[in-house]
Amino acid sequence: MAALDELIEVSGGRTTRICLTIALVGVLAAGIWSLNWETLLNLHFGDLWRFRVAVLKGLGMTLTLTSAAAACGILAGTLLAIVMQSPVRPLRWFVVGYIELFRNTPILVQLIWIHFALPILTGVPTTAFVSGVIAIVLQASAYFSEIVRAGIQSVPPGYREASDALGIPVHTRWMRVILPPAFRTMIPPLVNMTISFLKTSAILTVLSVGELMTVATRISNATFRPIEILTVVAAVYFFFGWLISRLTGRIEAATARRETR
Amino acid sequence: MTFDVNVLPTHFPELIDGLLLTLRICLLSMAFGAFGALFLCLGKLSGRGSGYHVSVFVIDFFRTIPEVVLIFWIYSCLPLLFGARLSAEVCGIMALSLLVAANVAEIMRAGVQSTDQGQLEAAMSLGVPAHTIWLRIVIPPALQRMAPAFVNFMTELIKATSLLSTIGVAEMVYQANVLGNRTFAYVEFLTLVATIFFAIIFPLSLFVRHAEARLAHQKSR
Amino acid sequence: MAGKQVVIDCRNVVKRYGTFTALRDVSTRVHKGEVVCVIGPSGSGKSTLLRAFNGLEAIQVGMIEVLGLHMPGTRKELEAIRRRAGMVFQGFNLFNHMSIRENLLLAPMTALGLTRDLADDRAQNLLDRVGIGNQIDKYPTQLSGGQQQRVAIARALMMQPEVMLFDEPTSALDPEMVGEVLDVMRDLASQGMTMVVVTHEMGFAREVGDRILFMADGQLLVDQPPDVFFASPTDERQAVFLSKVL
Repeated sequence: MAALDELIEVSGGRTTRICLTIALVGVLAAGIWSLNWETLLNLHFGDLWRFRVAVLKGLGMTLTLTSAAAACGILAGTLLAIVMQSPVRPLRWFVVGYIELFRNTPILVQLIWIHFALPILTGVPTTAFVSGVIAIVLQASAYFSEIVRAGIQSVPPGYREASDALGIPVHTRWMRVILPPAFRTMIPPLVNMTISFLKTSAILTVLSVGELMTVATRISNATFRPIEILTVVAAVYFFFGWLISRLTGRIEAATARRETR
Repeated sequence: MTFDVNVLPTHFPELIDGLLLTLRICLLSMAFGAFGALFLCLGKLSGRGSGYHVSVFVIDFFRTIPEVVLIFWIYSCLPLLFGARLSAEVCGIMALSLLVAANVAEIMRAGVQSTDQGQLEAAMSLGVPAHTIWLRIVIPPALQRMAPAFVNFMTELIKATSLLSTIGVAEMVYQANVLGNRTFAYVEFLTLVATIFFAIIFPLSLFVRHAEARLAHQKSR
Repeated sequence: MAGKQVVIDCRNVVKRYGTFTALRDVSTRVHKGEVVCVIGPSGSGKSTLLRAFNGLEAIQVGMIEVLGLHMPGTRKELEAIRRRAGMVFQGFNLFNHMSIRENLLLAPMTALGLTRDLADDRAQNLLDRVGIGNQIDKYPTQLSGGQQQRVAIARALMMQPEVMLFDEPTSALDPEMVGEVLDVMRDLASQGMTMVVVTHEMGFAREVGDRILFMADGQLLVDQPPDVFFASPTDERQAVFLSKVL
């Protein structure tokens, strides 16, 4: 944005940059000054190598949970969003209630509720993993349906009118006319939501389902060395989040090229 | 198993304590985080230099790593690294403040950068002084555009406080667990806590929806 | 026009966006009291040229002098040029979160240090002059497009500019509102205002313009008085363009 850049420069962009650099150096200096060097010099990241299999398994579980959340979320979310367009009012209310319930309470509470309270009520006990999957998928479908709904609303009403005028059958209308352009506008929010469920999967650690964070906690407890493993795990999460957003940047650019051609 | 609500009233004080702690943590991390967000946002808007690159990384990093990892990292690593004793609550507030700083910085940046190019050009071509452009042309509409994203993040923050129960901060979910253990009324307490969260967050979500619709309407005009 | 004060002097101006060249070696002068209309097909660089006169586009080669001040020069000089040259945009660019009064008062009060009373009087006078004196406390979105553009002209006039730059002021308007804006501009021209107008309104250019500049592909191809320009085109692209629009 040329005009905003000009405004920033005119209103002291240079001074701001210098001040920020000074502040940065100050914060770094203060941080380094107060570091406990003994701890720092005794860090052994190499020791983690023997846990590589456990960590990889945990990572596999995390990625599985994330993909499950994204896949089921998009599928169920699309269904819910289509039901939201239904003329049957009670059906719509039910869906709205479901979505609002899962969006407006913490996933941790849902998770504990599903794992501890649901078996008491139904009499059917679930394993930690099953409870975790149920909770994450239920929440994912609520969150993803909001994105799909917004995507469907972004399709110009003319498309619908035109397909009505052409006498296109309902399922063709959804599959060929409305959903494809809707999904194209939905790519960025869908990716953000997927990254957000990568983060959510770590919460399942409270049930020790065996994903990356569970593994990290176990290693940290076993070695009494939390810094190494937690730092590595944080970096791994960051890397995969970055990877997902980077890949999508590519997909987006490719679709944009096709559109403009 | 019966759903026995009679057990709840006798333990209201503990739950209220938990609720107050939840709210206090939210407010404090909002305040500290907003302060940090200001610097990060300035850094990102400044466009180049070390401040810019550090801000971009900090914002991306704390927006991408899971909240739980951040909370555990601060709770178990920070005291070791700095040789300091930090209570669970302080650690929780630090973690959430970082979360607020990164997310709010990004919301503010988006708000400023979505300023209407034409209005900026008009103000500049009239020779309006730079600080007046910021105060009168850039910031008021930016705040209006930021409001839904900001409140939406607030709902995420309130939900994230529940994660502090994992490091033993005695907020609502923690209290519900303790009381459930003591009275065996898990279902009742959990359901009550879920209801309280819903009662706080749902109005905020309604505001977000309303504000977004209003903005979309303004844009189409 | 020899002897008359030169308001805008632009010599050998080149403007590039990446690999695309928007202005190729453009040179021209605008004298005090002149109305210069710039026409040409879309993408010909005419808006870019106008925006460069106000420092909204940076140029790579050549020089531009406005009101004796060199562009870009210092920040203070650029600000001075912008205060003394009024600009009207295609999209009005009114501040939608402010009332009409606030739109008009903002610049003179903050940039010129005018008192509120003085600025208020001036605002009322100008709005009366453009025919919307009774709308002063409304908000931009409550007005029609034509009214908004007249407010934008009044807003620029609040600074008592020595030259007015118009960037396709009627292109975003519904046809029935074009006339009211052109009337205001005609009125302004008759009072001796120096004006540079980028426009697609051939009737206006022919009637009000002292000179017509024709641009295509970033080049300034023709600079003629309107009667010559419209009657006997000398350039091939000018002839093609005129045959399409007339």
